[in-house]
Amino acid sequence: MQDAKFLKIGLGTYTALFIAFLYAPFVVMGILSFQQGPEGGPQFPIIEWSTYWYQHVLGFAPPSRVAPLPIGEALARSITLAVATMIVSTVLGTLTAQAFRRHFKGSGFVFYLVVLGMMVPGVLLGLGMALVADQFGIPRTWWGTAFVLHVVYTYPFAFLVMLAIFNRFDGSVEEAAWALGVPPGRTFRKITFPIIFPGVLSAMLFAFTLSYDEFPRTLFTGGSEVTMPIAIYGTFAVEIHPNLFAFGVLTTVFSFALLTVYGLLMMASVRRAKVRISGLQEEIE
Amino acid sequence: MTHYDLELVKLRKVYPGGTVAVEEFDLSVKRGEFISFVGPSGCGKTTTLRMIAGLESITSGDLVIRGKNFTNVPTEHRPTSTIFQNYAIFPHMTVRQNIEFGLHVRKLGAAEIKKRTDAIIEKLELGDVVNARESALSGGQKQRLSLARGLVTEPDILLLDEPLGALDANLRKSIQEELKILQRELNITFVFVTHAQSEALSMGDRVVVMNAGKVEQVSAPFELYTRPQSAFVARFIGRNRIIPGELAEVAEGRASVITPLGKFSGVPSFKQGAASVGQKAMLVAPSEYIDIVPAHEKAADASFEKAEGTVMTLEPVGHVVYVGVELPGMAPMRIEAYRERIEGRNIENGSRVELRWKPERATIVLGEM
Repeated sequence: MQDAKFLKIGLGTYTALFIAFLYAPFVVMGILSFQQGPEGGPQFPIIEWSTYWYQHVLGFAPPSRVAPLPIGEALARSITLAVATMIVSTVLGTLTAQAFRRHFKGSGFVFYLVVLGMMVPGVLLGLGMALVADQFGIPRTWWGTAFVLHVVYTYPFAFLVMLAIFNRFDGSVEEAAWALGVPPGRTFRKITFPIIFPGVLSAMLFAFTLSYDEFPRTLFTGGSEVTMPIAIYGTFAVEIHPNLFAFGVLTTVFSFALLTVYGLLMMASVRRAKVRISGLQEEIE
Repeated sequence: MTHYDLELVKLRKVYPGGTVAVEEFDLSVKRGEFISFVGPSGCGKTTTLRMIAGLESITSGDLVIRGKNFTNVPTEHRPTSTIFQNYAIFPHMTVRQNIEFGLHVRKLGAAEIKKRTDAIIEKLELGDVVNARESALSGGQKQRLSLARGLVTEPDILLLDEPLGALDANLRKSIQEELKILQRELNITFVFVTHAQSEALSMGDRVVVMNAGKVEQVSAPFELYTRPQSAFVARFIGRNRIIPGELAEVAEGRASVITPLGKFSGVPSFKQGAASVGQKAMLVAPSEYIDIVPAHEKAADASFEKAEGTVMTLEPVGHVVYVGVELPGMAPMRIEAYRERIEGRNIENGSRVELRWKPERATIVLGEM
């Protein structure tokens, strides 16, 4: 009895600490983003509550000594890069996982080859890529060399997600489709893909978020047109203002919005099925 | 032109690595025949079915359907449909969509698709659930849906891979009957794989018994039940009682074995000349054909074969009593008898009894236990 009580307290403390470490930085950042501006700095106490730094980020604030964040073009680049990476990595990851459904010669080797892309330290990979590019006279750009490394990095994640999905996938529905006279290509589009779609969404989410805030690989290979994380890092060199926090809050809200869309998409098919069932039950009653 | 629907000619399956899954399988099936494949797990029955369906490659031999060779034709171009043990319902589609799916690739008009779908929905009584998905269906409904989906494309041959395995006993019985009626109505060939001998015997026009990749026997159910052709079939099918021994005489339609209980004659399952005297053999008789009487009631009737033993156990179950009889020189034998045949005649533990059967009801099979 006494032991159970201690265990409860212990676990409760642990959970509380875990949540604190997970969310405290974000909460602090959120609070400081409402600091008074442009004089207020990135520290407590709050001089006066205001939305000045939000206006500053969005370009509505009057010009001041604090330079606006260089986010406009960098944000567009980062999103474009993340979307392109997401598409390529998810397609590659899905196709590779599909190949791994059957055992083939050298499959173990190929597995580690693919997974290596996420295990090699990013800085080394970025530096190596920069050296190779210079050696062969390839210009370093965010849409070229950096994009390739983003795919190398996110493709293993998409692959592992899809591998897990296919592991639970019951292949007899595909066999049933073939046996009904449906060719393999159409079977994949009409049977396999709809069933694995939730997994594909997860793979896309991984690839997108990993690419969107990728730093070390992009630093050396992105060239002079910087992506969002590099642009933000660049501003640290001068001085940190709460506009960075305001931007952080905005992007987090954006991420949650994205996750919500993802969740809704996931739920949609389930709900469709449920509506049909309840409709059916009414019919019977 | 052949009049067979399905012909397997020396069909063989060897897996990469050298495991032989199916040894030279020969079989000819007439149109409208109901063929059961039965055997223990791993005997190659499902592999054979999958070779016919095109889901498993054929190592050597030929697969002929209605006179046309389909050995190397991919699954989707074979005139067969397969029913899977787990039904393989497409979970993201409604019942109607599941049924229509195979029709869309067949270049049929929308009206024809609807007509065929409606007809099969009515036939298999799926009208109440046409818009439901797999998650809302009962086991029996899933079973009927998988049948509807497989039959709506009008295959020449329907392949069923343990389709009743996942159902409870009562449902199983009623679906067995439905299947049999359906098959008779449609008059298409069914190949039915099962590990349950009662199912194979009650449903098949002919039964193929397989063991370790080999075909042991292909016979009509009653023939299979009463006239096993191998030691494996004698043990695996029916409720045979077996007395091991050695072959003593072989003549046309008659042979005898010497056993620890004496010399008995029976009908040989092999051709004269296929076996020699002294070879290991066994006398096999279905339990139903063996009568048990008290030893003192010995009849002088010479038309019976007889063996004497001592009752060790009596185990009444309903109106049947299982009697364990100790016999000299071999394992005890369990005899089934009606209750009144035992109780009315003072057969008790320790009683001396006589087992008797007609020699023409017994079969002599080569091999050892």
